[in-house]
Amino acid sequence: MSSPSKRREMDLMKLMMSDYKVEMINDGMQEFYVEFHGPSGSPYNGGVWRIRVELPDAYPYKSPSIGFVNKIYHPNVDEMSGSVCLDVINQTWSPMFDLVNVFEVFLPQLLLYPNPSDPLNGEAAALMMRDRATYEQRVKEYCERYAKPEHIGATPEAKSSDEELSEEEYASSDEGMAGEADP
Amino acid sequence: MPLPPLPCSLHLQSHTFIITHLPCEQQPKPPKATTSHCSAFIPAPLLSSFSLTFVSILSSSAYSSPFDALYASKKESCNSNDNNGVSITMAMDDSNPPDIDEDLHSRQLAVYGRDTMRRLFASNVLISGMQGLGVEIAKNLVLAGVKSVTLHDEGTVELWDLSSNFVFSQSDVGKNRALACVQELQELNNAVLVSTLTTKLTKEQLSDFQAVVFTDITLEKAIEFNDYCHSHQPPIAFIKAEVRGLFGSVFCDFGPEFTVIDVDGEEPHTGIIASISNDNPSLVSCVDDERLEFQDGDLVVFSEVHGMTELNDGHPRKIKNARSYTFTLEEDTTNYGVYQKGGIVTQVKQPKVLNFKPLKEALSDPGDFLLSDFSKFDRSPFLHLAFQALDKFLCEVGRYPVAGIEEDAQKLISIASRMNDDLTAGRLEDINPKLLRCFAFGARAVLNPMAAMFGGIVGQEVVKACSGKFCPLFQFFYFDSVESLPSEQLDPNDFAPLNSRYDAQISVFGCKLQKKLEDAKVLVVGSGALGCEFLKNLALMGVSCGGQGKLTITDDDVIEKSNLSRQFLFRDWNIGQAKSTVAAASAASINPQLCIEALQNRVGPETENVFDDTFWENLTVVINALDNVNARLYVDQRCLYFQKPLLESGTLGAKCNTQMIIPHLSENYGASRDPPEKQAPMCTVHSFPHNIDHCLTWARSEFEGLLEKIPTEVNAYLSNPGEYTSSMRKAGDAQARDTLERVLECLGRERCETFQDCVTWARLKFEDYFANRVKQLIYTFPEDAATSTGAPFWSAPKRFPHPLQFLSSDPSNLHFIMAASILRAEIFGIPVPDWAKHPRKLAKAVDEFVVPEFHPKTDAKIVTDEKATSLSSSSIDDAAVIDELVAKLRQCLGMMPPNFRMKPIQFEKDDDTNYHMDLIAALANMRARNYGIPEVEKLKAKFIAGRIIPAIATSTAMATGLVCLELYKVLDGIHKVEDYRNTFANLALPLFSMAEPVPPKVFKHRDMSWTVWDRWVLKGNPTLRELVQWLKDKGLNAYSISCGSCLLFNSMFPRHRERMDKKVVDLAREVAKLEIPPYRRHLDVVVACEDDEDNDIDIPLVPNTANSVQRGRSKFFPRAAFNLLRFDKVRKKDICGEILVVLMLKQLGVLKGAIISLPLHLTSVYGVQHSHFPFSAPRLRTIAATLQISLSPDLTSIYDIQYSYLPFSTPHLRTIAAATQISLSLVDWLLQRSSL
Repeated sequence: MSSPSKRREMDLMKLMMSDYKVEMINDGMQEFYVEFHGPSGSPYNGGVWRIRVELPDAYPYKSPSIGFVNKIYHPNVDEMSGSVCLDVINQTWSPMFDLVNVFEVFLPQLLLYPNPSDPLNGEAAALMMRDRATYEQRVKEYCERYAKPEHIGATPEAKSSDEELSEEEYASSDEGMAGEADP
Repeated sequence: MPLPPLPCSLHLQSHTFIITHLPCEQQPKPPKATTSHCSAFIPAPLLSSFSLTFVSILSSSAYSSPFDALYASKKESCNSNDNNGVSITMAMDDSNPPDIDEDLHSRQLAVYGRDTMRRLFASNVLISGMQGLGVEIAKNLVLAGVKSVTLHDEGTVELWDLSSNFVFSQSDVGKNRALACVQELQELNNAVLVSTLTTKLTKEQLSDFQAVVFTDITLEKAIEFNDYCHSHQPPIAFIKAEVRGLFGSVFCDFGPEFTVIDVDGEEPHTGIIASISNDNPSLVSCVDDERLEFQDGDLVVFSEVHGMTELNDGHPRKIKNARSYTFTLEEDTTNYGVYQKGGIVTQVKQPKVLNFKPLKEALSDPGDFLLSDFSKFDRSPFLHLAFQALDKFLCEVGRYPVAGIEEDAQKLISIASRMNDDLTAGRLEDINPKLLRCFAFGARAVLNPMAAMFGGIVGQEVVKACSGKFCPLFQFFYFDSVESLPSEQLDPNDFAPLNSRYDAQISVFGCKLQKKLEDAKVLVVGSGALGCEFLKNLALMGVSCGGQGKLTITDDDVIEKSNLSRQFLFRDWNIGQAKSTVAAASAASINPQLCIEALQNRVGPETENVFDDTFWENLTVVINALDNVNARLYVDQRCLYFQKPLLESGTLGAKCNTQMIIPHLSENYGASRDPPEKQAPMCTVHSFPHNIDHCLTWARSEFEGLLEKIPTEVNAYLSNPGEYTSSMRKAGDAQARDTLERVLECLGRERCETFQDCVTWARLKFEDYFANRVKQLIYTFPEDAATSTGAPFWSAPKRFPHPLQFLSSDPSNLHFIMAASILRAEIFGIPVPDWAKHPRKLAKAVDEFVVPEFHPKTDAKIVTDEKATSLSSSSIDDAAVIDELVAKLRQCLGMMPPNFRMKPIQFEKDDDTNYHMDLIAALANMRARNYGIPEVEKLKAKFIAGRIIPAIATSTAMATGLVCLELYKVLDGIHKVEDYRNTFANLALPLFSMAEPVPPKVFKHRDMSWTVWDRWVLKGNPTLRELVQWLKDKGLNAYSISCGSCLLFNSMFPRHRERMDKKVVDLAREVAKLEIPPYRRHLDVVVACEDDEDNDIDIPLVPNTANSVQRGRSKFFPRAAFNLLRFDKVRKKDICGEILVVLMLKQLGVLKGAIISLPLHLTSVYGVQHSHFPFSAPRLRTIAATLQISLSPDLTSIYDIQYSYLPFSTPHLRTIAAATQISLSLVDWLLQRSSL
């Protein structure tokens, strides 16, 4: 098995090579933002979210933590914190998965097939179970209100992926050293 | 009963001995030196008996120290009482056994539970033979807390004994061994009565004890005593244990019918039922939430089953075909009710009866030996013979064989040979004269590491005998560590005694290795339970006790009461002092030659100025004595970097393991890792708990929110309202809004000014948590709610909650109010009145308050977490709400007293009077009651919520003994990897499994090959371009270069191309904000690269011992600059590798056909928790999972493994260590098998 830090770089590279927009924070590999588009065939289509990805020290043994930065109305996403209660990410994670899986499979699946039986946003879950049409309407309202390109600070034209966040904003280099745990 | 001989004369004899040896007593141990010391060091309960003694000292100049006087006075008391030769040292209150001191024993309670501890407190144990092994056993039992320990020894202390007995000092030479031990052992635990016996034992005396241990007894005598114990009513547990050089043996006989109450110490497994078929046999399916841990043949009981209620009769049923989520019942359920929903299945642990054979019978018919090392499969029968031969030698010659004397060895060999020839059954084909010779030469020596290891094993066996907890050793166990011997042949002269305390050790290893031990420069990281044991072992072995040696121990922790039950270098008067300092002082009193320095630094990136490059480079070896994985990983990194051997160990309850990390020979610690502990999903914890762990997790987070987080936020606001609100405005999101709402609550509506306010608040909180939120939840999801697919919403594992009705007469309700209101008062700085702690008065105060009725909000959000719902309507913009909140806060501010601050509370689990655990237990139990989950007592809640790591002295001692056996090899310096051993042991089963360390992975590129331990040297401070070119010349294309977790260069980023002409060191400083301090000579850079065919390559460390000192322009890098480059990468290659495994496994057809069900001891290996464990079951599980996923197309079921499907054979599971590499070696193994 390859070493953890290797996996960090590899997975990040793969993600970027798969044409995801990755915003690095201060060139750090510990946490970054990824732009994520609602999958077609779901009421989330057309919405765009900034997903905060945090790779824990024990990555890939421990799952990345995934959060929606701008609001989303979804039974399995906490409205307040944007945390995802997604079984595959939080529970069933395995070192065999990587970030591309998260964005190519897990998140689209989550948006296509919400699981109201294990809700984190109970209201959304209840609404989805009772009144699917109103639920989808609400989802679209949220997309309109919170999930347009301007909400994630992106210009309509695709930015090139190397535009990191300002390095000054997140100056913390000792954290970078502390995270080093790699044979 | 025949009268025992009068103890008087013997005592006098020993007493005169002391006096004649007076000149030797120049160096008394520090705490024993003067009377004034004594009064300072003796724990209070003992003082009274001492003060009496001192009077006699003052009047009698014959005694050289108060302790001699003490023994003398003891002798007098003996005379008058004539109590069978047993002399009671200290006046103890032995009237009523005190109840368990939970502060002292919390870690041990977590292993044994209360019942076992109570049985221990009622047990009297005899330990005969007080050399190294006897004292180790006694230490472990005194720490564990039996009722009494009686030390027996008729012999006197010799210089030779100082190699292994940590309480003897040079001044004890000539004293009776038992008497020389008693004082220090008594100090370890006042609650245990420690006494001595110095006369010849008669078998009748054994009837005073529940368990007797003999460490130095002839076989003949042992058989006599054992017969007596075996046929005694009730039987007396008999243990015979011996360590002879690098060989050891244990024999246990707990009587003809011994009942084991708990065979493995694991919690009963449970499952949540999803369906039960009406069938014969009946198939039971459980929810796929957690894998079932049942095994075929287990007994289970059912509860809460709806529909098929016949199963709820509490009758234990046997299960078969245990799988991940299903099992079958051998029961015809065809005519039972139809299963509807619900149901919990719980394992019933069955007691086990063992029929021990007496020693006489067992000697000729030993049965199966407990194995420790599969590479020594035939070693046990050999040692069985060897130990008997040694006994015969001793009887015939009257002494042990002498090291280096060839005739003695030959005599032993001929005895063994004769005995073997006389055997009718079980005759050995080869008596292995070479090994017998080793055995003969070491026979007289008790080595400290062996004593420590066997002290742990035997101590645990005594606990088992006294309590019925855990499975006893049945019946013989033999062990050797001949690999510890120096690898080069020794001259007989090397073994000759030097008249030093190390003579016993020298007789085994020779004086050259002794010198190496003494000159070693050792770092021990951590001074807890492992650290204390290590210090004792190292001091006795003479490590760092010579001119050039130095031992550094570091720990930033201070001593707490709960430490004292294992960390035996500490006494209760040391509570609050720095662990490392106290431990170092104690170790130095064990061996005054020890050159030790105690530091209080945590080893980590922040202390690299203390543990700088020079420090590391000077070390010989590093010993980890840590309690967490992160620190272990850090030390591993440093050892890898500086190429130092690292001896790693850890314990978890009765389990322990050791791992040797030897430069270039073994993989490093971080090379394989456990998967992280699974956490309960958020949604489950927030709204759908189904076990007490979920409730406790929730309770912990509520505790932190209410008492720590919010008060801290409030203070942040109060200190600088302007800055705080503007930063909240800037954030402008839902979280900021939520925080502001909570701050406002605290300062506004819910502000408490009197204690009555706090009670009211607590009462409202109760209503909110346990009534209103539940009402809201079941309003939103009624009991009959269905999901979109029509399935019931409230299906397993979800449990339908019911709101609680507050009753001040219900003690647990009131307890919640008490803990909550007292802590609420604390954060507001309100004094707590006395009536708050009187249930009746408090109940009255609560009942005065009328709680407003709750109406569920229609179409409002469900209270899925703690958020307040006052202003929440998700369609309102957060920003607008924040503005409103800020305005309201400003109003509150005006009403606050000036300089008002809240007092945030940090959770402290180990103080039983602070109400923290009370509140958490109350929160969790009330929530459990909501959901119909069984409640737990406070102690259990503390174990779970406080994440208390179960720990006992025995497994700790054993781990350190094993590590020190490896230390001989490390310090000898030329051993091969085959000589080293990693161990996993579980004393509860008992299981010992040892294996060679796994060699490091070798990488090959072109004509080069390297491992993680190799490095390439690159000089100068190159620019990025030069570095890339340098690699290119080696056929490696760098695509990513990083420093720490900061990216310096990535070929994907056009912007980074501008960096190509910058010096790497400058880049690191600019981008990673990394300044290299003067004590650092290295800079880590990680490079990912591919070869020309785009294959990814792992390349070694490239230290650059730069001459760039002069060239480096910056003053920040006076000595060194850019030193270490690490090239890491496996990309497609790795993936290919994994695919390869898949294919091969498929080809070989190693699928579910080969079912090997594992014996109990191997499956409980899986039960190990990894967080505290350096090398544990989950790691094994990862590998297994990797294999399983290779077999299973369903990626999501990666952790879903059923061990009975694993294609491992038992030998392949022999250690966890081996198992971590099994994915590679397994392939070879499979290939071999397929070719057969």
